[in-house]
Amino acid sequence: MTENHKESRSLEELVQANELKSNLISISAHQLRTSLAALKWILKMLLDGDAGKLNSEQENLIKKGYESNERMITLVGEMLELAHRETTAGVAYHFEPENIVELIDETVFEFISESYKKGIELIFLKPDTLISPIKIDREKMRVVFENLIENAIKYSSREDKIFISIKEEENDIVISIKDTGMGIPEKDIPLLFGKFVRGSNTASIPGTGLGLYTVKTVLDQHNGTIHVESTPENGTTFSITLSK
Amino acid sequence: MQKKVIIVEDDSFLQGLAVSKLQKEGYEVSSASNSDELFKILETVKPDIFLMDLVFPGLGGFGSIKKIKENLVLSQIPMIIFSNLAEDKDFAQAEALGVPANNFMVKSNFTLEELVERIKTLVK
Repeated sequence: MTENHKESRSLEELVQANELKSNLISISAHQLRTSLAALKWILKMLLDGDAGKLNSEQENLIKKGYESNERMITLVGEMLELAHRETTAGVAYHFEPENIVELIDETVFEFISESYKKGIELIFLKPDTLISPIKIDREKMRVVFENLIENAIKYSSREDKIFISIKEEENDIVISIKDTGMGIPEKDIPLLFGKFVRGSNTASIPGTGLGLYTVKTVLDQHNGTIHVESTPENGTTFSITLSK
Repeated sequence: MQKKVIIVEDDSFLQGLAVSKLQKEGYEVSSASNSDELFKILETVKPDIFLMDLVFPGLGGFGSIKKIKENLVLSQIPMIIFSNLAEDKDFAQAEALGVPANNFMVKSNFTLEELVERIKTLVK
């Protein structure tokens, strides 16, 4: 067998293994969602009094169950999305020269109303000079900004501020997302970009621990880096560096 | 006059919950657990709306939708896909068969009340 044939066969095997993995994920997600949907409907019927009026303690407990189930449904959705992204990593990225300032502007706009509702100021400090177009996968990079801005809002409180800025250096473009929110304990920082990792001070805030893992995965595909600086109670700054 | 719903759902527990909710809302409900039962029911019942799961024995959801859409009369009846398959390829396949994305409801993301609201907008 020639080297070319060997390579082609192992590629075929990889594609088959990938398809099998993808099918397994779809089936598992379908089964999980079916059980979670049943639980959701039953709890909602109980909350609506379909099986008789609840006292306030019963209502409160069932509400908690319902909310916990909703978090699980979100988690299943995110796991599915993540698994698909991993399955298709390397083939699903389409790099084109893009106006990254415009992309950030669009993403900030998506979150204006949410931050306003929470009483948080979300500010994009647009650069005075033009930023050169940069080769990125626009939609994947949008996910990066969405995750970081969403986190900044989630872990900030009324009257906090979020500043987003961008600067062009000789070889790189650096984007920073800085918030004045609750910050991240120092011990959590080295683990921050792992799968299912949540900060030790975030137990009361819903989340799946997949957001920053996704951010890192997308940036890795762009040969980009991300750096975090944080002081508990004073806020966090994420800095992304993308090579031109 | 009572509006008629045909629900195809092979999970008997979910089917029972949905049927009971729809009956409480005043619908006449016929239920099937597979495509044979579905097409048997269609010999005698002309529904006002279909409520289709996608994973069930026989032709499955997409196979059954295709067969329904090939029938001139049945193809005019509104349809909601109510499934836990929720990948882009599933939405695309539904759209290709004439079921728009806003009639594709992922079960775990909606309550039965929301399902009833959707049915009300499609069946007047």
